[in-house]
Amino acid sequence: MSTINQRLGRTLIYTLLIGFALIYLAPLYVMLVTSLKDIEEIRSGNLIALPEHLNFSAWSKAWNSACTGSECEGLAPYFWNSVRIVIPAVMLSTIIGACNGYVLAQWQFKGSNMLFGALLFGCFIPFQVILLPMAKLLAWLGLANTVVGLVGVHVVYGITFTTLFFRNYYVAIPNELVRAARLDGAGFFAIFWRIFLPMSTPIFVVTVIWQFTQIWNDFLFGVVYSGPGTQPITVALNNLVNTSVGGKEYNVDMAAAIIAALPTLLVYLVAGKYFVRGLTAGAVKG
Amino acid sequence: MGAITIQELTKSYGETNVLKGIDLAIDDGEFLILVGPSGCGKSTLMNCIAGLEDITSGELFIGDDNVTSVNPKDRDIAMVFQSYALYPTMTVERNIRFGLEMRKYPKDEIESTVKDVAKLLQIEHLLDRKPSQLSGGQRQRVAMGRALARSPRVFLFDEPLSNLDAKLRVEMRTEIKKLHKRLGTTIVYVTHDQVEAMTLADRIAVMKDGIVQQFGTPYEIYNDPANRFVADFMGSPAMNFVECIVFEGNLIVESGNQRHEVVIPNTQAVIDSGLETVILGLRPEMITEPKPHAESGYITQMQLGVQVTEPTGPDTLAFGEWNGQEIQARLSPEVGAQAEIDGEVQIQVDTGKAVLFHPQTGARI
Repeated sequence: MSTINQRLGRTLIYTLLIGFALIYLAPLYVMLVTSLKDIEEIRSGNLIALPEHLNFSAWSKAWNSACTGSECEGLAPYFWNSVRIVIPAVMLSTIIGACNGYVLAQWQFKGSNMLFGALLFGCFIPFQVILLPMAKLLAWLGLANTVVGLVGVHVVYGITFTTLFFRNYYVAIPNELVRAARLDGAGFFAIFWRIFLPMSTPIFVVTVIWQFTQIWNDFLFGVVYSGPGTQPITVALNNLVNTSVGGKEYNVDMAAAIIAALPTLLVYLVAGKYFVRGLTAGAVKG
Repeated sequence: MGAITIQELTKSYGETNVLKGIDLAIDDGEFLILVGPSGCGKSTLMNCIAGLEDITSGELFIGDDNVTSVNPKDRDIAMVFQSYALYPTMTVERNIRFGLEMRKYPKDEIESTVKDVAKLLQIEHLLDRKPSQLSGGQRQRVAMGRALARSPRVFLFDEPLSNLDAKLRVEMRTEIKKLHKRLGTTIVYVTHDQVEAMTLADRIAVMKDGIVQQFGTPYEIYNDPANRFVADFMGSPAMNFVECIVFEGNLIVESGNQRHEVVIPNTQAVIDSGLETVILGLRPEMITEPKPHAESGYITQMQLGVQVTEPTGPDTLAFGEWNGQEIQARLSPEVGAQAEIDGEVQIQVDTGKAVLFHPQTGARI
């Protein structure tokens, strides 16, 4: 009896889940098939129909010849701009976050909880609030419209999150470990390097995915603080879609959007299984 | 070399005084146990010795060196933690090597030390494993191995056996004692288990509320406790405490309907104190069934009404009342079984080693 009921319930649950997954994936499907059709087929055909023949010309156009405003070089230069911004910004904010978290969790000093509270507050500051003062600051430092400036903004903004991640991960590690290492003769950095970093893989993955996604997908900072030669891909994508020469080229727009989204997708696919594991690792011990 | 001298050491966290003036002199090679109920400051004192906690005032010497404000790593001590605190990402071998590498020992010396230690603790077959692959007892051994490798002047053990099951705890206890015999290094050992304290220690410091209540050999602590707290804390089953009226230097004990005058060794002290009542402290093994050859001036025979008995195997504890207060007697299993049926038993009380306490302050008389 119960087995039949169980099976029924199970079937219902899976049907629902698969249904939701399909709804969620539908836009991606439409993007993909549209990017593979030529413009004639899009105008005449069905939105969800498969393309009659595979046509990659929209992809290559999106990559290296579509117009983003007055330039017509495709997304490629902006893609590399984004890479140049993302890699140092993710690395720096993650490393600084790890150090901060280690100190706040294991080397508590007078006022360290206050400091942590203040840092947490940073998580809740909306982007828009800091736009103007940050622009002033960057100009004053001579870093306006530069990759370095943009990296700096992302690092500062990301530190609050990365610190939170690492602090919560390290706080679950018993302090006796630090004490044992101190008696063994290890100093502050030796303990960090030899004992804490080797057991931080899950939280590193979480932080890297989080930061990579945040920074790669960022549009607001990118559009405000970048100059003509340093715009990230999100800004270029916006320009590409808004620049129309003749009719709207939906296939190129779709291909460009997928290109812009690919790196984050890739990062998640490669390291995704650590993501869930790492997010819960701090909360549930053992 | 490994002697430890603690002078008027205090430790406060803000307004709270955790240690209130500790004075201890521990000889080189001695096995010292710090024992007391939780919150008595014993672990804090150990952390002060290790240098993991700053001392608020007072001085600390190891050997002839004043180490009051010396960095933990330069104190030449090693510590075994309650949670073992093994480095989770390192193999057993790397755990043991770590301290030596940090101190930049030459490579071949590290190799041979690790081998020796592993052999001594019989963990050679575990060297390539990670701590998560070890049982509780094995982790305990590795933690000791890590401490041993550096051959320090002093070992500190912070409740090292409390995470083990009962049987393993007894085994490891013996092993630690053997190890101490063999190495002859000073050991300071924190525990709340009075059995561990009695069996392991050369000397015991019983602590309560940040004060050392008594510092002496297990024999002294057990037979000659400084106050009621120490007498109560040490010994299992616990000592009996009965408030008795003083009559011409003897104590009045009412058991059942009978009234007995019990003779005690320090009659004069009781008279001098001028107290009307005192607390009589008697260990359960001093209240037994009559023994044929017991002859001393301190033996009293009486009847005891038995409310309940607890057989422990080698002997049976019988619960009765004196002066309306509960006492435990230690009977042989046969006598105990009969006492349970009869509801009363003939007992002999040996007050030759009885101790007396002030009824209000609990101080020894």
